[in-house]
Amino acid sequence: MAKTILVVDDSASLRAVVGIALKGAGYDVLEACDGKDALSKLNGQKIHLIISDVNMPNMDGITFVTEAKKLPDYKFTPIIMLTTESGEGKKSAGQAAGAKAWVVKPFQPPQMLAAVSKLIMP
Amino acid sequence: MNLDEALHTFIAESRELLQNMEDALLRIEQSPDDEELINAIFRAAHTIKGSAGLFGLDYIVAFTHVAESVLDRVRNGELRIEGDLVAVLLSSCDHLVELIEHLAAGSGDPTAEIQEKSKAIAACLNDYLGSDAAKNTNVVLTTEPNQTCTSEGGGEVETDLWHISLRFGKDVLRNGMDPLSFIRYLSTLGDIHHIFTLLNNIPPAVEMDPESCYLGFEISFKSNADKATIEGVFEFVREDCMIRILPPRSKITDYLKLIAELPEEELRVGEMLLRCGTLTQAELDAALRLQHGDGTAAPRPLGEVLVEAQMVSSPVMEAALDKQKQVKEHKSAEANLIRVDADKLDELINLVGELIIAGAGTNLIAQRTGDADLLESTATMSRLVEEVRDSALKLRMVQIGGTFNRFQRVVRDVSKELGKDIELVISGAETELDKTVVEKIGDPLTHLVRNSMDHGIESAETRLAHGKPAKGTLKLNAFHDAGSIVIEVSDDGGGLNKQRILNKAIERGLINETDNLSDKEIYNLIFEAGFSTAETVSNLSGRGVGMDVVRRNITALRGTVNLDSVEGRSTTVRIRLPLTLAIIDGFLVGVGTSVYVIPLDMVVECIERAAWENAGGDGRYINLRGEVLPYLRLREHFEVEGEPARRENVVVVRHGERKVGLVVDRLLGEFQTVIKPLGKVFNRISGIGGFTILGSGEVALIIDVPGLMGQGVVEMERNGQNAESMRALN
Amino acid sequence: MNINIANEDGICRIGIDGEMTIYSATQAKESLLSAMADCNEIEMNLAHVSEIDAAGLQLLALVKREAADRNKPLHFIAHSQAILDMLDLCNLAGVFGDPVVLSPA
Repeated sequence: MAKTILVVDDSASLRAVVGIALKGAGYDVLEACDGKDALSKLNGQKIHLIISDVNMPNMDGITFVTEAKKLPDYKFTPIIMLTTESGEGKKSAGQAAGAKAWVVKPFQPPQMLAAVSKLIMP
Repeated sequence: MNLDEALHTFIAESRELLQNMEDALLRIEQSPDDEELINAIFRAAHTIKGSAGLFGLDYIVAFTHVAESVLDRVRNGELRIEGDLVAVLLSSCDHLVELIEHLAAGSGDPTAEIQEKSKAIAACLNDYLGSDAAKNTNVVLTTEPNQTCTSEGGGEVETDLWHISLRFGKDVLRNGMDPLSFIRYLSTLGDIHHIFTLLNNIPPAVEMDPESCYLGFEISFKSNADKATIEGVFEFVREDCMIRILPPRSKITDYLKLIAELPEEELRVGEMLLRCGTLTQAELDAALRLQHGDGTAAPRPLGEVLVEAQMVSSPVMEAALDKQKQVKEHKSAEANLIRVDADKLDELINLVGELIIAGAGTNLIAQRTGDADLLESTATMSRLVEEVRDSALKLRMVQIGGTFNRFQRVVRDVSKELGKDIELVISGAETELDKTVVEKIGDPLTHLVRNSMDHGIESAETRLAHGKPAKGTLKLNAFHDAGSIVIEVSDDGGGLNKQRILNKAIERGLINETDNLSDKEIYNLIFEAGFSTAETVSNLSGRGVGMDVVRRNITALRGTVNLDSVEGRSTTVRIRLPLTLAIIDGFLVGVGTSVYVIPLDMVVECIERAAWENAGGDGRYINLRGEVLPYLRLREHFEVEGEPARRENVVVVRHGERKVGLVVDRLLGEFQTVIKPLGKVFNRISGIGGFTILGSGEVALIIDVPGLMGQGVVEMERNGQNAESMRALN
Repeated sequence: MNINIANEDGICRIGIDGEMTIYSATQAKESLLSAMADCNEIEMNLAHVSEIDAAGLQLLALVKREAADRNKPLHFIAHSQAILDMLDLCNLAGVFGDPVVLSPA
């Protein structure tokens, strides 16, 4: 059974391109446009990996990850954070929230695929 | 959706974002502090940059990067968004619209005219990035070429296999990372020739936490991938795992080093060499057969057999044998050791704490009765209790060497990453300190070490040009000094540039141009919040060094940190920490009916009210022998009811370079006390670090002087009293 | 994940059904250790393990060591594809192979 990845970003085009790349590699993809939307997708269905932006309207990525980690079904779900903010503050806040994998924007689809397949195979 | 459709989505989305950006820019002049507006502007640039990168639209990425960097400074409060900057940002926004429309029209790469315009506007934006950053918006990453070996110590090892040693960190699984996934991914980059899974670090059943990771792997790997790619496999776990990667045909000395670094103690030499990929199974088997071959002679150590059979060159053997010997010596010393659960020690310390409190109570009663025999006997008991306390605390002492040694790895990895040749020199590794302190000092130390390597030690060329050896030296040192432990991180790098720090501090408004600061004061400005000496801003590197975070972490341990530097020669950061967090010598003061404890090592002096009430000042500051001393009434701060005593006293406390006077009703003398942590509910009460129980059974709150100072200063600033008024007093 | 335990003539037959991952590791550790406590011989049926991660592997290793320490024979039987893939990846087929009879040392 294919593994499911949740892509959270406020940019529809980013979600689209990442989605195309992931589906092409054999993953199932769910999309959410911000942290709030993403939390509503965490309703007990199996999600094997979450890719989330940091800077988003309504609910930012760090808050989302912190909330997601509180849910028993997603406590150990691997998370890749997307960011241009490799600055100490955001990153250590993210790490404290449980996001250990970071991919720096801008990236190309193959870089994202490589990062994902280090954590889960399709 | 296909890529073409996605590109259309990108164009539509960018148009919308740029429209929002323009609206926000037009409104920002009316409300320049509206964070929502600033965020909207930042997010437009941020999102367009991120998505453009995905489509490989490098010219859009390059242009938005500059705009984003400027906006990042605005968002961090380093830059005010007004007048000219708004104009530049508006023209950037217009230009982005132009770039997007050009893309929408399907006209391919931008024309020379558009490119010129991009350059011109980017140059205007660059002016807002500060001179240092503008010059340097790119970082060139150097990757070390695989060294072909020279004939040092017997030359290359024969195999053409990579060797990878992995010891995963405890929290890897909890963080959602499965070690097996990394190995699966590794196998897509080449061929796993042999893998050895280490299961023997799994602790006994009762202690084993099934959510912790205890696995290790030794892998020999055949691949044409380069080292960066193979290292990249483990990038997400690099920070909390031990990872060693030896390229094919590594030097024998590299294998020797690996043997020395492997954490396992009980490994037999043969197994070690097998795991290191130095020997094949067949070679090892043959050696084992030789060793047990003739039943008559006493079995010889495996190492000798191997060397005799010329299956391994002797330097490798020596390192392996050294390790074996160390293990043996360690073993005989270990026979005198017992392992104790840390929780049991904590319980013991806690009980000793209770004993001290009970002892103080007994003393009080004995003094009240005035019975000489009883007094003598309680005095003896007090002395013994103190000794018990000291021994109990010693049980929790561990050597700092373990923490220091972890940096061998950090220094090695980071120096490779930076393309610098840096040696780590460790001294004072046997210095002991409390286990809880050791656990918390790792992060700040890592920060300082990285900082020294990144910004302190110069490149080999620069060093040679200044007549220094090409190899930089980083020193970690520790020693005991008057009830504290001092940890030094020093480098022989370029030191700090006083003038640049001054300029920056003035620019950030941390000090005034007229301030007359000593060298030391200048250097220590870099620990101020909002101060950063990072010169480069790039796609990759961080923005800000965060020495203020280091200081905050150290302060939280009741410690201090300061910095010395000789320009062009060296920098030394000195951390001073209490030996233990559990017990302090306190100074007891009374306010109304409440009793407070001030950590004794922070108390400088006590002054009677008579000596200061007429000494000048404006109700917020007093004149202490010509020095301006801000003060704080504990009665007001903690909202103690009742009238102040007629003769109030001032306790002058110092933390780091700052002094504050605390006004109290009564001085009750020195008192040794056990710190009990406050419950979570009270965590946010500032100025209180914990509580203790007095001999009389009363509860006394322990004052958190650094916390109180932070708050005191804020309150003073709110009252419009700043450094200016302090100077006016003089 | 479900763990089915049946005791028969002192032989404890343990069947694991579903994902043997970190999500269920804490519960699994408890069930497995208590199941092992009151029997003389253990048989672990791995036919229905659909997925196993490093946490699952650690549990298998723990069970194996506990059994050896208590001199109780332990057999892993009917390995599922997920188990076989993992054993192959980690080169542990020799350690958790089918069947493994542990003779007390």
